[in-house]
Amino acid sequence: MKERITCFTEYMCTYPKEEGSLIPLLQKAQGELGYISPEIVETVADYLQLTESQVFGVASFYSQFRFSEPGRHSISICLGTACHVVGGEILLETCERDLEVKSGECTSDMRFDLNRVACLGCCALAPVVKIDEDIHSKVNIIKLKEMWSNYE
Amino acid sequence: MNLTIDNRKITIGKPATVLDVATKHGIDIPSLCAHPELTPYGGCRLCVVEIEGRDGYPTSCTTMAEEGMIVRTDTNVLQEIRREMIQLILSEHPAACMMCDDVEGCKVFQGTIRKVGITTGCRWCPKDNDCELQRIVEQFGIDDLTLPGLYRDLPLEKYDPFFDRDYNLCIYCGRCVRICNEYRKSSVLSLKQRGKQTAIGPAFDETHIHANCEFCGACVSVCPTGAMSEKSRKWWGDPEKIEPSVCPLCSLNCDIQVLTLKDKIVGTIPPGKAHESGGDLCVKGRFCLSELVNRTDRILEPEYWYPEGYGIVSWDFAMEKAREITAGISPKRTALFISPSLTLEEIYTAGYFSEHILKGGVVTSSCLDEKMTAYLKLAQDSVSLQDLDQSGAIFSAYLNGNYNYAPLTLAIKSAAEKGVPYYQLGWITDTTSRFARHRFVPAPGEEIAYLNDIITCLKNGQCNTPEIHELAGSMKKSKNGILVVGPQIVSLSGCITMLDKIRQIADLTGSGLFMPNPYGNLYGMLSLIRMKPVEEILQQIKEGKIDLLYLVGDAPFTKRPKVKHVIYQNAFPSPAGLNPDLILPSSLWGETGGSLLTDNGRIKKYKAVAVPHGYARSHIEIFSGIAGSAKIKRSGFSQKSIKESLSNNFHIPVMGSKKPVSSAGGKPSSPGKRFPYILIQEKNPHAFCNSNLGREIPALGELTLPGHLILNPYDAGKLELKSGELIQLHAPGKKMKFKAAIRKNVLPGYVYLSKINGELEFDSNPCYVNLKRDHV
Ligand code: SF4
Ligand code: SF4
Ligand code: SF4
Ligand code: FES
Ligand code: FES
Repeated sequence: MKERITCFTEYMCTYPKEEGSLIPLLQKAQGELGYISPEIVETVADYLQLTESQVFGVASFYSQFRFSEPGRHSISICLGTACHVVGGEILLETCERDLEVKSGECTSDMRFDLNRVACLGCCALAPVVKIDEDIHSKVNIIKLKEMWSNYE
Repeated sequence: MNLTIDNRKITIGKPATVLDVATKHGIDIPSLCAHPELTPYGGCRLCVVEIEGRDGYPTSCTTMAEEGMIVRTDTNVLQEIRREMIQLILSEHPAACMMCDDVEGCKVFQGTIRKVGITTGCRWCPKDNDCELQRIVEQFGIDDLTLPGLYRDLPLEKYDPFFDRDYNLCIYCGRCVRICNEYRKSSVLSLKQRGKQTAIGPAFDETHIHANCEFCGACVSVCPTGAMSEKSRKWWGDPEKIEPSVCPLCSLNCDIQVLTLKDKIVGTIPPGKAHESGGDLCVKGRFCLSELVNRTDRILEPEYWYPEGYGIVSWDFAMEKAREITAGISPKRTALFISPSLTLEEIYTAGYFSEHILKGGVVTSSCLDEKMTAYLKLAQDSVSLQDLDQSGAIFSAYLNGNYNYAPLTLAIKSAAEKGVPYYQLGWITDTTSRFARHRFVPAPGEEIAYLNDIITCLKNGQCNTPEIHELAGSMKKSKNGILVVGPQIVSLSGCITMLDKIRQIADLTGSGLFMPNPYGNLYGMLSLIRMKPVEEILQQIKEGKIDLLYLVGDAPFTKRPKVKHVIYQNAFPSPAGLNPDLILPSSLWGETGGSLLTDNGRIKKYKAVAVPHGYARSHIEIFSGIAGSAKIKRSGFSQKSIKESLSNNFHIPVMGSKKPVSSAGGKPSSPGKRFPYILIQEKNPHAFCNSNLGREIPALGELTLPGHLILNPYDAGKLELKSGELIQLHAPGKKMKFKAAIRKNVLPGYVYLSKINGELEFDSNPCYVNLKRDHV
């Protein structure tokens, strides 16, 4: 991790020290490391002469940035309108309870990270759950629990 | 420019928002997020208006007044929208304080059966009666909720000192965020996430301490609701009186206002309306004064040391004893120590007392050591704070301005924001560091060489680094550059030489100097009486030339020196081993009025606003009591005679013939594998009447960490060390143990030790050391 941050720092210095560099730098960091860690926030803030709070305030406004290390597999539960009315929320709660993880975070064994998304664009198949790149349609609790075992 | 608001023709000169224009002309538009000190935000939407020719209902706080505008502020539609907005706010804001059927009766009788303690009642919001949301709800006569309520159920944030945060009560007006960013320029707070998850605070879930909050209290002042509250007066209710006063906790003597309730000081705030100003003071002036005065260990009664131990005695008896002691002393064999936190009146009386009653004894103060004297010599020519606004370049050396010198750090930050080049020399990251073009961090033993580099660069253009080149260039080019020197320099080994170099830099660049110090009336003390260097007096005591030690708010002793008598006159308890013959409790700031001489030569007066604790008396009363009213005539220290004896020059103490050995310190041992860390020590930077503020006020101690060894999180990680654990410090020939604290404002590779009191632990400062976790 440390090398990757050093690597990122070198890259960062090619950007002008101005607020306009903030988003591109965060995007780059997320691309390199998979998420925005506190160290990244600190490094970027130092470079742009901002406070960490300013950097985090901007970053957390955009849903494209995540702030915890991604797990080996990524579960996204759709909570868009269509999925919400047919029980998306229950699926989310099930994951939270059974995998012992909060949305936006990662299980302690780094197996899954759990995220809520607004709409996956296939509302006819609601409720929809996406694990890594696989779309699972018309999911219910039993199906959901069976699915997990396919991802170690 | 002309416009019409509610059928009134209004002419304005300067551009302003519709809301400002209306408010100025007595037209009331409800608002919650707008604030006179801050840029408009448009968050609450209560200030909506109708403007002829415009669609919809623009918010007046974000709309600039324009020529010919016709504005209506009070139509039925607008009132309906506002009621709706208030209902929306109330759907997420606990509203028991406004909606309970028993509100009226409860205020008078507390007649309801309730499950909560009598002290808080059900009125569990600390801002009850002082809340802008409450006022708005009352104004609209809303007595029912139309939307289902949602309680956010966020945990109360109590882990930072001085103020608590309960974001269940927050209405996201963004005032705290804006004042921290715009006015205070600390940017500790931001609006995080969005939608339902919106939160306010530092990055991630960091505490305010670790996010470098200055605890200036600006955010607490401007918060319209009970989301933020001062810990110390959370449940006290509204203060009865607000009186103007002056802060005695550093040489800048900020104007403040004291809040009192039943003759007790409950808090202090900056000048102006309580919720409209906020960011002008440092944590000491904003939060520490009331805590200091209300310390529970203050001496309340005179005490006398009988053979079998201390006994509480009456004032008459104590005065009698004091007279006995002073009468039996031969001339010139007394030493009077006074604190530079006392008022001009008190210092004048002390001087008079020493001359006439103690028969020509010597007067000194523990802060007047060789290095501080050198600092003061240079500080004599200080420019005033206002000059910072005009300066073209600023260079600060060893400022360490966290929790300190707020008007100074604010001036530096605003100047830098306007584009004035700012450079910083020193090890501690403070609130100004982020604004510095370059930071200079000298290696141990290289501090003087660093200044030499700058001098050489200024003299013949030979510069070691491009940064020094830039600094020298900026300072030289600017007609009115300013060198800010912080009193941290007084703790460094090379202090005296460095001050000399700094004067050279100032001369070469034509810059002014600004040098604050942590004492409230040091300049007043030096203008009023001629004092001796403290080393000289300590030497005399050692040589047995002093019979009576009279300590007035100052006591640099941990055990009783070899003298016949010790009289201790202070508000706070005496150091454990000192064992004075007589202890006389004195009153404190706010309990007696007085005046202070500020750093720009002005006299600032303040009134007594509270009664002294216990049987404490003012220093002046005590002195005249001992002298007998005949001897010290009241007129002897009237305002007039004090003014007359104020000299224009400070009497800076001069060393006698026997120069004490200067503790210049040897060269620091060389770095290397054995001693890879660099230790910086600082003498008590927040002193008041013989106490270390950080130790006496635990909440301030969480920030200033007296007696702790502070290190960077990165180094702490390497040493596998957690906050609060013991750490072993090895320097060549010395080993010590300290409690560790972890802070980002200490650079990696450095450790910082803020002394509680007394001299430094290691002779050379800074020096190379090694650290090890103490395995218990
Ligand atoms: S106390 Fe001052 S520095 Fe700290 S968050 Fe509030 S406004 Fe900002
Ligand atoms: S904490 Fe207070 S000032 Fe800050 S946004 Fe909430 S209500 Fe407004
Ligand atoms: S800067 Fe000095 S005078 Fe002002 S509030 Fe702080 S301690 Fe008091
Ligand atoms: S709402 Fe779930 S896919 Fe559209
Ligand atoms: S005061 Fe204008 S939107 Fe809040």
